[in-house]
Amino acid sequence: MRLQRTLLTAGLLCAAFFMHAAQALPSLDDKLAPPKSTADHSKFKELQQVFKTGPDVTKACLACHTDAAKQVQHTKHWTWEVIDPKSGQKLGKKNIINNFCTSTVSNEKDCMACHAGYGWEDKSFDFSKEESVDCLICHDSTGTYRKLPGDAGHPIYERKEFPHGSGKFVEAVDLQKVAQKVALPSRANCGSCHFFGAGGDGTKHGDLDSSLRNPPKFIDVHMDAKGLNFTCVNCHKTSSHLVAGSRYEFDAARTGKPQPQGKFDASPVACQACHGDKPHKESLLHAERLNAHTDTLACQTCHIPEYARSSVGTEKVWDWSTATTMGPDGKPQVVKDSAGRRAFDSKKGNFAWDSYLIPEYRWFNGKVSFKTIGDKIDPSKTVEINHPEGSPNAAGARIWPFKVHRGKQAYDPENNNLVIAHTAGEDETALWQNFDWSKAIKTGMETVGLPWSGKHGFVSTEMSWPITHMVAPKGDALSCAQCHGANSRMAGMQGIYLPGVHKNEWLDLAGWVATVLALLGVLIHGGLRMCMFRNCNNAGEGK
Amino acid sequence: MSKTIVGLVLGLVLGVALAVMAAWNMAGGLMFEEHTSPFTVEETVARIQQNIQAAGNSWSLTGLRYPARPVEAEGGNVLPVILIEACSTKYSGPILKDDKVRFLSLLMPCKIGVYKKNDGKTYIGIMNVGLLSRLFGSSVGEIMSHVVKDQASFLVMDPTKPAPPLILPKTGGEGGGAAGGAAGGC
Repeated sequence: MRLQRTLLTAGLLCAAFFMHAAQALPSLDDKLAPPKSTADHSKFKELQQVFKTGPDVTKACLACHTDAAKQVQHTKHWTWEVIDPKSGQKLGKKNIINNFCTSTVSNEKDCMACHAGYGWEDKSFDFSKEESVDCLICHDSTGTYRKLPGDAGHPIYERKEFPHGSGKFVEAVDLQKVAQKVALPSRANCGSCHFFGAGGDGTKHGDLDSSLRNPPKFIDVHMDAKGLNFTCVNCHKTSSHLVAGSRYEFDAARTGKPQPQGKFDASPVACQACHGDKPHKESLLHAERLNAHTDTLACQTCHIPEYARSSVGTEKVWDWSTATTMGPDGKPQVVKDSAGRRAFDSKKGNFAWDSYLIPEYRWFNGKVSFKTIGDKIDPSKTVEINHPEGSPNAAGARIWPFKVHRGKQAYDPENNNLVIAHTAGEDETALWQNFDWSKAIKTGMETVGLPWSGKHGFVSTEMSWPITHMVAPKGDALSCAQCHGANSRMAGMQGIYLPGVHKNEWLDLAGWVATVLALLGVLIHGGLRMCMFRNCNNAGEGK
Repeated sequence: MSKTIVGLVLGLVLGVALAVMAAWNMAGGLMFEEHTSPFTVEETVARIQQNIQAAGNSWSLTGLRYPARPVEAEGGNVLPVILIEACSTKYSGPILKDDKVRFLSLLMPCKIGVYKKNDGKTYIGIMNVGLLSRLFGSSVGEIMSHVVKDQASFLVMDPTKPAPPLILPKTGGEGGGAAGGAAGGC
């Protein structure tokens, strides 16, 4: 017995030793596998220094990557501005109004936590200064690089409490460590902004949230961390820091055969770039039927049956009209919903959230028209802040799935335009400091250089976001009945004849006539056969 | 005459067969009830949980299950489903003590399913306890009549009241196939 116990103890000790040794030493695979990058940045002299600020790191990067900042400065990630080639309209975050946080103007110190740059505090920001480009926000591989609202795009230089008054602290970023560990952008890099648009995880897009950092297969078949493990740049192919594919240049109806990776002549962000426009290969008849749908439907329509497919969820409604309402004790109040998501905040108003949402379907040709700052609105109707263009008979339009975010936001009832409110900041006029709409709107409108009547009301708005991420495994694509039924999700779709949804009296009549004729045919045929059988039998008996 | 009798018998047999078929088809629907909820899945669950806790009669929450999770773990998509488990020792005790109806432990704890369907709406699925109770004698029927009353009160939701937080069990009960729940109840 004692011997057995001794042997068991010795065995356990040996196992523990070898397990420890295995953890301490690089594995055989690590030794044999070639490094992913051709350069070990920790060995570069330029990066072996203590960096005090983000711009200091950028200067060091530019010592080798001499043109990188110039490239970045030509992108939307830097300018936050897009010129619509068709209308000449100035778009981009700098110019449009949305129905989430509404506008970046006069709120730059907060919003620029998601700018690929340092120091954009107001309109005096120098867009030509190369060291203001933030390399690390896209190239950090440590997961420790963090920028917070209020710092105008600078990372955290000193340990600080965030959110203010919460008792939670965020550590200062070790810039040297981050600079020495740069890599190609991962999902987490892009997601540090795109998963958290409008101030919270999953708030804005509906198909982008932190569940995509390491998603399981059911959430996204391409990004499946244990499967294909695509990063964002697998599809959003990047050249000279220009990231392909954006909601301002949408390829809504790509056609043609699949093109081999690396030989794309156009943006590979469309599904058809890899799958072609006739992607179904099952049994001939079934595949033919499904492939016929691709002239009408976007791939996403069937293959993203629901969006926000995780407990993160997404925001459906933001009602600013209840902002500045205090709690029962007269102090600002924050209320969460049953799932722990924000439901009310005295600073921001009411919210409604949900997950596993059924998209709304619209015809879409890739073009979106926007309301920009100062545009006139009709407050008697729901204001469409952006409008996906495309009609049933137009070339290049397909039925697309959308998240439609609805809200109420401040407008000027005399000038009939949506107003800019100075919400974020620590000054006297910021809405989130003083809970005074008039002061906030006055500052916002002065900053943007637009007249304000001195009055404000709240108007209903909606904003449409095409759904294109969170592609489900093919077995979970929509089934026929989910669209072809009287109460199906396509029930309200106009401009196309949908069997099962729409009725054509003549077609129905023809169908019934064919059915009745077929039935009559069977009865007559059967009747004749029976008569003939009886006659034969009678004739036989007669004999 | 004989033709008439044959016709009558045939008609009777056909009528009985049709009645059995109709009853067979309806039986499934009679065993369960489905209600819509104006709230999200999580809020519906939280409001029902709150009602159960406030119901008295020894009712307690015994678990919360997510049957969709094992499917998701294997790469499949299922719309959200949450099962609330609740039990009242006041009602379960007498049934569990009686050898004749002890097999009804199969129905314990009481389950309420909250789920989303393809129309995007939230639904509540419950067992038709009233109908079931009639099948197992007067003593069970008496107990179950109280359960029916309490179960109806679980589903009363006042939209003017704020959404309560979801009550997550402290141990177990969260997995689709995982064992039991927190303290209390059956």
